[in-house]
Amino acid sequence: MRVDVWGVRGSIPAPGPTTNRYGGNTPCVSVIDTKGHLCVIDMGTGIVPLGTALLQKSLPVRDDFGAGKGNATVLLSHGHWDHIQGFPFFAPVFIPGTKLSIFGNARTADRVEALLEGQMNPQFSPIYTLKNLGATIRFEGVREHQCFRVSDLEVSSMELPHGETSVLSFQIKEQGKTLIYASDAGYSASGAPDDVVEFYRDADVLIHDSTYTPEEQELRRNRGLSSYLDAAAVAARAGVGKLVLFHYDQDHSDDIVDENVRLCGQELERLGAGRTEVVGAFEGMQIDI
Amino acid sequence: MRVRFWGVRGSFPVPGKQTNRYGGNTSCVEVEIDGHAPIVIDAGTGLRQLGKRLVRNEFLDGKGLVHMLVSHTHWDHIQGLPYFSPLYSEGNELQLYARQPGDTHLGAVLAHQNDGPYFPVPLDSLKARVQFNELLEGQQFDIGDVRVRCTRLNHPWIAMAYRLDYGGKSLVYCSDTAPFRDILLEHEFIATPPTVGGPLDTKHAIKLHMMREKLVDLCQGADFLIYDTQFTPVEYESKPHWGHSTPDDAIAIAREAGAKTLCLFHHAPARTDDQQDEIFATYKHLLRDDNLELLCAAEGMVVDLDKGDA
Ligand SMILES: [Zn+2]
Ligand SMILES: [Zn+2]
Ligand SMILES: [Zn+2]
Repeated sequence: MRVDVWGVRGSIPAPGPTTNRYGGNTPCVSVIDTKGHLCVIDMGTGIVPLGTALLQKSLPVRDDFGAGKGNATVLLSHGHWDHIQGFPFFAPVFIPGTKLSIFGNARTADRVEALLEGQMNPQFSPIYTLKNLGATIRFEGVREHQCFRVSDLEVSSMELPHGETSVLSFQIKEQGKTLIYASDAGYSASGAPDDVVEFYRDADVLIHDSTYTPEEQELRRNRGLSSYLDAAAVAARAGVGKLVLFHYDQDHSDDIVDENVRLCGQELERLGAGRTEVVGAFEGMQIDI
Repeated sequence: MRVRFWGVRGSFPVPGKQTNRYGGNTSCVEVEIDGHAPIVIDAGTGLRQLGKRLVRNEFLDGKGLVHMLVSHTHWDHIQGLPYFSPLYSEGNELQLYARQPGDTHLGAVLAHQNDGPYFPVPLDSLKARVQFNELLEGQQFDIGDVRVRCTRLNHPWIAMAYRLDYGGKSLVYCSDTAPFRDILLEHEFIATPPTVGGPLDTKHAIKLHMMREKLVDLCQGADFLIYDTQFTPVEYESKPHWGHSTPDDAIAIAREAGAKTLCLFHHAPARTDDQQDEIFATYKHLLRDDNLELLCAAEGMVVDLDKGDA
């Protein structure tokens, strides 16, 4: 599978020269399987450049998805703004003939259709209602640990704590390779529960929340996000191949992220997990797993 | 009276190298008057940076007061509000003004943004005191020593333009609006655009004419006019129903009203800095022998109306 990163920022887009290298768009990652099926994870503003790339046909997707043909899948971790705010500006949704299946948590109140319908309300959006979008959109509720197939991908999910609510983490497998997406994960001070570590176990790539420095985490544990130390700890316990730091604080400049990535690497060494590679996710990053 | 731009972009924020100079944050403008509480116009993502600056002052001790005029509640004009740090300190006060939104209360509309599935902190649990002031089209009121007037614009679900007068200087903020010629935009969703320059329903034509007259009146002799110029004339041709204008429309209004300086604003999200430079240069050239001064809004730009910057 091919993974592309389109948005890496938490909470709110952070434009400006100090975020040019890692990027200021909110979360969006795409996975393209060996059959060319497109699976999008989260719909922050990063989904806008993804839409542009699809219309320019610069991605190896099946059936020229985007310009009124083919179908794609969206996996939604949760309904906070930074994970849905790009949706009304994702070019393919305006083109009749495009098919989209959006998967979100079936258990919590944020049922996906109601969530996105509320986003289109005419008080807030000139679209007025989802019905005015050209694309055909199907909504699916996902239950924890329910396995489902998306083209050639085997997908499973797990609920992670996120402040007073929860988020879905996704495990995506193809041809013996595993990707985990765990944005907005916020464990207690004692670290991730064992079943979460098992869910991440031996993943080739773990995209993990890394919003804070340890000092910031001290003051903000209740917000339900991770520091780079939390990310290092869970990656080391789970023995993942590559840890990709993600969902940076909106106030962290590129230089701060550089430093956090470096210190995260040191922490992995200290924990005896030196074989786990760490990188900071940046917009335009491509990983072939 | 000084005007400071914190966000100049329309539709959605656009981070990246191509927007470093004009800025990628959505609409937010601050009006500074010495010895007066800040007046903010619109709460796009630019508001977050303004909030960070404010909390260095009396807002840190919970003694701050800020006034905010909201043109309309489309996301790009309110999405910075949950990230406005003065709201998280006990004792601070926000006086928010916007058009009365029909059959519901303004506070209820804005509360949606902070609702459970979308944001972790409900609006009514914020520590600062927030008061919602609902406005009628054409209403006049005072914020301290500043006289405020407003009139409605031609935009889906209706937006308001504001005029601020203080110490003999005046500022008009006019975003978002379509020109007043091809389509009347109110509460109906319009799926297929009309032909630009085509015939217009008489009732609609009269309503648009009146709306335009009132706007020209609002802009009369303004020292500084900030105007939604999201489209080039070519882009407008296919999107007259989106509710945005071109620099040509803005220039026509500014000239008729005898405004002194016109400032292009609410730049298209896809517009790169170089493209924006080109648009600005084209219209600058067009107005080279004109009394009307032209500026193009950029994040961080400050215009002092008293120093004759504008
Ligand atoms: Zn998030
Ligand atoms: Zn707007
Ligand atoms: Zn608008």
